[in-house]
Formats: sequence, structure tokens, C-alpha cells
Amino acid sequence: MAFLGIKRDHYGYIFIAPFIIGFLLFGLYPVYNTLYLSFTDATLLSPNSINWVGLKNFSRLFADNTFMRAVGNTWLIWILNFIPQIGIAMLLSVWFTSTRLRIKAVGVWRAIFFLPNLLMPAAVAALFFSLFSFYGPVNQFLVRAGLLPEDMQFLQNKTVARGLVVFIQWWMWFGQTIIILMAGMTSISVSLYEAAMVDGATASQMFWRITVPLLKPILIYIFVTSLVGGMQMFDIPYLLTDGRGSPAGSIMTNNILMYLKFASSKGHIGAASSVGVLVFIMTSVVALGIFYFLREKD
Amino acid sequence: MFKNYTFQTNILRAVVYIVLFVLLIITIIPIWLLLVNATRSTVEIQQGISLFPSTHLIENYHLIVSKGLDMPRGFGNSLYVSLATTVLSVYFGMLTAYGIVVYDFPGKKLFNNFIVVLVMIPMQLSIIGFYQYMSRFGLTDTFAALILPSIASAGSVFFAKQYLESIVINELIDAGRIDGASELGIFHRIMFPLAMPGAVTMAIFAFVASWNNFFNAFILLSSIEKYTLPMLVQTLRGDVYRTEYGAIYLGLAITIFPIIIMYALLSRYIVNGLAMGAVKE
Repeated sequence: MAFLGIKRDHYGYIFIAPFIIGFLLFGLYPVYNTLYLSFTDATLLSPNSINWVGLKNFSRLFADNTFMRAVGNTWLIWILNFIPQIGIAMLLSVWFTSTRLRIKAVGVWRAIFFLPNLLMPAAVAALFFSLFSFYGPVNQFLVRAGLLPEDMQFLQNKTVARGLVVFIQWWMWFGQTIIILMAGMTSISVSLYEAAMVDGATASQMFWRITVPLLKPILIYIFVTSLVGGMQMFDIPYLLTDGRGSPAGSIMTNNILMYLKFASSKGHIGAASSVGVLVFIMTSVVALGIFYFLREKD
Repeated sequence: MFKNYTFQTNILRAVVYIVLFVLLIITIIPIWLLLVNATRSTVEIQQGISLFPSTHLIENYHLIVSKGLDMPRGFGNSLYVSLATTVLSVYFGMLTAYGIVVYDFPGKKLFNNFIVVLVMIPMQLSIIGFYQYMSRFGLTDTFAALILPSIASAGSVFFAKQYLESIVINELIDAGRIDGASELGIFHRIMFPLAMPGAVTMAIFAFVASWNNFFNAFILLSSIEKYTLPMLVQTLRGDVYRTEYGAIYLGLAITIFPIIIMYALLSRYIVNGLAMGAVKE
């Protein structure tokens, strides 16, 4: 069955060749280039003078309060969003799959809860900016309901701004988490629960002893993908206020800082690259740590 | 005792429905206010909240355009980039995955593991290097820079591989070979049509991701006539439209409306595709 002397199984190479070429050109080389640039003083203003500066970009970042604050903000916002996201999604998934409760129209509920996840984050940020602006509907509602004495500048308040980013992230992602958790739960064999019930296990015992341990791979998946996404948060904090993490740098994230360095008047792409590289290292260490930590117990 | 159990279940059920209802309101209200306010005039919006549409849709649209925002062009740009990205990532995703699933070539396992690692690599590790490299070839500010990387979309390969593993039938491939079809011909004429439901799911996710992508377009594109919708959203947020609330809401509504319609029609594919991508992990 050979054609032009190629063994049949070697046809696999023809099928994967476009991917490999595309990856080398648009994946690997840009990653290599970013790593390289992070050790240089490259700017967009003078593209032909690129000097190797060693670890200077990195040592500068560690000495820079703005960078440390951006990292701290990104972590804080992600953690505050992730806990209710997984918590509420877990609760709803248990309810939706419960044979005791037999909730009606589960498919419709979760389809609706998932909808915000598909909306353009840029538009969602701009929407919340409008809703919470000084003359926006939230002020109108709260003042008329007597909950606020007068209109408030919500987006000039650090706590409110941060809280809003957290809320929007939660709002966009809890439905997605429900779908993934439920897919995991329905793949757990019913006979395990039946056996536990025969042995007189309570609902909470079954949840902690059967559901959670068997969901571990799914939980790791949710955790890691959410972490990787959370560390790249950009659109929502960028478009919710002035694009510089205002008020008082409270919603400045890693990627906003990277963008500001890139878009600065000289275009410091060397410094911008070093932000991307450091954040990647940080994310990988934590993600691998989670894999390792959760795997060892088995 | 049994009656008591039923009673408790009913109480619990009532609590669950109340929580679901509250979450439903929280989920829907912002979107509903957006769509309603897109049809209301700035004066009406300032007067108070309404949950019912008004009659100023056309007027708001004229306001957007008269202040210099070319919404139709932005829509066209977004559609072009998203469709091209979708076609490339679905076709090449399927092609690559088929190569992995059907053939047993040396290095296959390595390549397979490699794909899993690639899915995890964040865009922030490559975007600046990508920009600088594109600028050397004069390809910044072109749609090509946004579209071509989707040839090597690791996420698509990953999904396609899981899908193909469940549907590839070796007897069918052998039958094709006996009939004299070439290996690529078998993929194009026999397997790809069979894999259509999976391809549709992949296409939806690729399209939505590209349609919503702000960061890459924001870094790469600079001329206004090339702006995609998320970039026009950023313009809408600017000073020119500061007091034109109706126009702002309408502009935002235009960017999300196609996605809502698509979701209404295809939600089954989307929800199932998402669940499938995660469980076979």
C-alpha cells in the first residue's frame, strides 16, 4: 500500500505538518522572541538598537512598587472571584444533580447562567462602567429606594472598583463552572451512591467521601484554567476605569502593566516582555505545585 | 417519618428555587438593561430605570454614526477576522487531530503530550515577541497577523482529537483505501463529513473567542478603519460619547447581540461541547 515510497503510518507527518509549521512561525518563535527581548533594552522607538542588559529588567521590576502591586491585585482579584465561583457552582451542581430534589428544567437554568460567559468582556466592562457611572441606573435605583442619601462616584472608590471586577469575573464564569462540574458529577457511577445509601451514609458524607475525591481531576482542571486565565485578566479592569488601573492603582493587573510598558511613549517592549515572562513563571510554578500537591496524596 | 422527609424535601426545594431565581435575576438584569437602554433616548435614561423598551433605536444609531464611529465597518472587520480564524482553526485542528488519531508514526506520543502543554501557554508569553516580529515584516496592523496563528490552535487540536477518538471507524477508512481514495481524500470526503457535529462545536467556540478578542487586536491593529468591534467599544467608552447614554448602550448591544442570537439557536452544541472538552481530560 505504499505510495511514492512513503509508509502509510508516515502519512501522519503530512497531516500534522501545517500545524508544526504554523506553530514554529506563530507560536514558538514569538515565545523565544519574548524571552529574548526580556533580556534587552529594546524599544519600539529605535528598533535597530537592541542591547543585551542581562537581568536588569527583572531586577527593576522587583524594585518597582507598581509591579508588585499589580501582581498583588491580580492575585487578590482572582482569589476573591474564584472562591465564590467554585463554591456557588458546586452548590448548584449538587442541587441540579440531586435525585432527591429533582429540580425542573435544569438545562434551561444552566444555559441561562452560562450566557454571560459568551459575551464580549470589553462590552461587559463598558456596560458595568455605564451602569455604575455617576448618572447611571445603579445610582438612580439606590437613591430612589432610599438606600443611598445621594448619588455616589462608585468608580472612584477603591473597594467598589475592585469589588466590581471581582463580581464581573464571577458573573461571567460561575455558569461555565457549573457545566463542567456537572459533566464530572454525572460521570460518577450511580452505584457508588446506592452502595453508600445502603450503608446509611448522609448526603454530606456522600459529597465529601465520593463526589469530591472523584471530581479531583475536574477540580484541578477548573483551578488551573481559571488561574491561567485570571493571571491574564485585562479587558475588564482595563475598560472599567481609565485603563491605568484607577482608582489609585487598585485594579491595575499584570497585563495592564505589561500593556502600559508596551504603549509607553518609547514603547519599552523589553520591559513589557519581562513582565510577561515573570508572570508566566509565577503562574507555572503555582500550577505545577497544585498538580504535585494533589497528586501525591493518591 | 416518611411524611417528615417529604416535608423537608419540599422546604429544601423551595429554598433552592428561591436561590436559583435570585441568581437568574442577577444574571439577566445587566443584559436586559443593556438591551432596553439601547432603545431609549438619553433623556429617558436619565429620568430613571425602565424594564421596557422605548422607541429611540434608530435615533441612537444615527447618534453613534454621526459622531464618527463606523459601526458597520467594525462589524464587518470583526466578522471577517472571526470567520477566517474559525475556518482555519477548525480545518487545521481536525487535520492535525486526524493525523494523530489514525496514524501510528514515530514521535506521535511526544507530539501528543506537547499539544497538552501548548494549550496551557498563556498569550502574555508570546504577544510582545509576536508584535515585534510582525513589525519587522511590516505585518502589524494587518488582519493576517490576527488570523494566521489560528493554523496552530492547540485548543482546537485537543478538542478535535477527543472528538475523533470517539467517531473514527477504521473499517470505513480501509473501505476508502480499497476504493482507491488517497489518505487526504479519505479525510476530506469520508471523515470530515462524519465529524461535522464536532466541527460545528469547535467552530462556535473559535468564533466566539475571536469575536470577543480585545487584547490581541488592541496590540496589533492601529488604523481606525481596521478596528474590530471590541476596539470600537473602547472608543465608545471615550469622551466623545460621554453624555450620549442611549448611543453607548446601543453600541454595546450591537457587539453582543449576534452572540446572544447564536446562543439561542445553538446552546445545546455549546453546553455539550464544553462538558465534553472537560470530562475526557
